[in-house]
Amino acid sequence: MGKILESLPKTIVAGIVLTILMVIATNHLEDANQSGAEKAISDLQKKMN
Amino acid sequence: MEDTILFLVRYLHVLCGVMWIGILWYFNFVQIPSMPKIPDDQKPAISKVIAPEALFWFRWGAAGTVLFGLILSYMNGYMHEAMTLQRPDIGFGMWMGLIMAFNVWFIIWPAQKIALGIVETDADAKPAAGRRAMLFSRTNTLLSIPMLFSMISAQNATGF
Repeated sequence: MGKILESLPKTIVAGIVLTILMVIATNHLEDANQSGAEKAISDLQKKMN
Repeated sequence: MEDTILFLVRYLHVLCGVMWIGILWYFNFVQIPSMPKIPDDQKPAISKVIAPEALFWFRWGAAGTVLFGLILSYMNGYMHEAMTLQRPDIGFGMWMGLIMAFNVWFIIWPAQKIALGIVETDADAKPAAGRRAMLFSRTNTLLSIPMLFSMISAQNATGF
């Protein structure tokens, strides 16, 4: 971890990777938190987009 | 009236956030990489004048960002849901912001006081304190990338 933080370019790449992981985790948690009806509406909205 | 207050709180949250992250990125993108290139006799201009002034606005920018951000989340009624990750879109960003502000006040600022000679300590303690401040400042730079993504996408994006 120290080696990543000593390099600014590696820190930025790590930040981007963490952002991608956060988006995946957010989608997973939002799906888990939704009830069946909410999920059906959400899926429909995504299809319309 | 409540909408006006909500707008002002959000405006202050963003202003403080720009101050905080702007100076964080100044430290990491400009000052730290430039220090080895500056002649030794000119380094006190940075360490005695510019850095202490920047650190003042840096830490109070962090405090203001967190204060107005928490007020905003309370007024909007999502504070509990966000902090318990029932609303992870904004919750992840809030947690990262809180960790970053903790780093500023309880790790970076105490270490910088030693590294810059604002408090008197052994000369041997200065390099270690400087390295600790740099590594936690870099940690905050790393966290700022997903934190800002979370803050902006929760407000503006759909489909994430």
